[in-house]
Amino acid sequence: MKTPFKIVLLFSTMFLISCEGLFDYSPYKIDFEGENKDVNATNLDRLLRTYLSDTITIAFTGDTHNYSDELGYFVDKVNTLPNIDFVIHVGDIADFGLPKQYLWGNSYLLNLEVPYLVTIGNHDLVGNGLEAYNLMFGDLDFSFVYQDIKFVFLNTNSLEFAYNGNVPNLDWLSQQLLPSEDFSRAVIVFHMPPGIGFDPALTEGFYQILSAHNNVIMAVHGHSHHFEVYYPTADSIPFVNVNGVEHRMMTSVKIYRDEIYVENEAF
Amino acid sequence: MKYMWKMRHFSHWFLLLCLLVIVNNTQAQSPQGKYDWLLPDYVKLQFAGGIGFLSAGVGYTFVHHRIDATFFYGYVPKGISIDDLHSVSLQFTAKLIRIRLSENYQLLPLNFGWFLHHTFGSEYWIKLPSHYPPEYYWWSPGRNAGVFNGAELKTKWLASKTPASGIAIYTRLGTRGLYLASKVGNSSIPITDIIELGFGIALYR
Repeated sequence: MKTPFKIVLLFSTMFLISCEGLFDYSPYKIDFEGENKDVNATNLDRLLRTYLSDTITIAFTGDTHNYSDELGYFVDKVNTLPNIDFVIHVGDIADFGLPKQYLWGNSYLLNLEVPYLVTIGNHDLVGNGLEAYNLMFGDLDFSFVYQDIKFVFLNTNSLEFAYNGNVPNLDWLSQQLLPSEDFSRAVIVFHMPPGIGFDPALTEGFYQILSAHNNVIMAVHGHSHHFEVYYPTADSIPFVNVNGVEHRMMTSVKIYRDEIYVENEAF
Repeated sequence: MKYMWKMRHFSHWFLLLCLLVIVNNTQAQSPQGKYDWLLPDYVKLQFAGGIGFLSAGVGYTFVHHRIDATFFYGYVPKGISIDDLHSVSLQFTAKLIRIRLSENYQLLPLNFGWFLHHTFGSEYWIKLPSHYPPEYYWWSPGRNAGVFNGAELKTKWLASKTPASGIAIYTRLGTRGLYLASKVGNSSIPITDIIELGFGIALYR
């Protein structure tokens, strides 16, 4: 073999070995594995095995967009708080819906000591974000019962589905809220509140379903980035609008018997 | 049909490319064949680099081999990603430095480039779909621009045995606008996460 050829071969081999993680095939490549798959299911499993007390405390954040560092600060803060049962991210963890942004977002949340759940946001659905969410977090609509409270996570990003009339899935929501022995109260979590982006044809029906059985004690959402508590339904269910992570304020919700305490804390 | 429709957005790229080819070659028509000037100046096969697992490219050189325009078709097979991905990209490269190593070897260590990359599929739209309010999203998932710097080693390995004048190996290290926008202001995102590294071979006419 000629010497120049040997040199080229040597350098290319060294190059290949040392740069393995840098090769990029497409911004839309999805190949999540291990801790980046079925994240919500894994965390639910952890949550439902934890010790039950009479108080539930949930730390909320959301709307990460391109404020990745801030999401890291949020995680650091939550890890210093002893009473948090779990964390809910109210969506838009991936600003451009890129698989890489999903990986970044989850890389911070993986450092949480408590279980966490991630809601689907409108930005998360751009490009092939739906496939990324399905693989990393799971179903867009899901629910579970924790300490007599049913938590219902609902995809309300109607505009991403061109206002097709099926998002949010009100039939599913209605079924979830049918009174049963498993739960006495319900908390609804979603990203997009009624307004631009939420199917206007479904807004009334949405409010009616929430009020139908008098069991929804609170709705929590993101998207607007600012903190607010308001009461849009006829029976005045509190809607909590969670701060965007860039404000470096976490919203914590404490549920104790029939009382709900909502607090903001800087991080 | 879906793909045909999407191709329309690329018509102006092609037009630009054709224009460049014509401008470049009008004075330099080869005596061998009337349409020889239409032949690409090189073909490339590239691994990674953000535009496909494997990409095949054809291109033309201009201004004494200092400027390259390359059109790539890139493919990511299912298995590497959960779905296969088809994409095309157009890239322009300015080869700023040329070092003659010997009779048969040339090193081009500073090849600056700019590229546009389009992934096929209705979810990778270029123009905001009509159901959104105007300017609802500022970027297009279907059209990403990026920059890179490359290096190339040109050889005359195949020159004596084939019609090709030489073969080159090259590498490129780049990033794209959407990655840069994610990285800005976030020291916790490793710089290596936004790098698109690739390498390939080029066969010159």
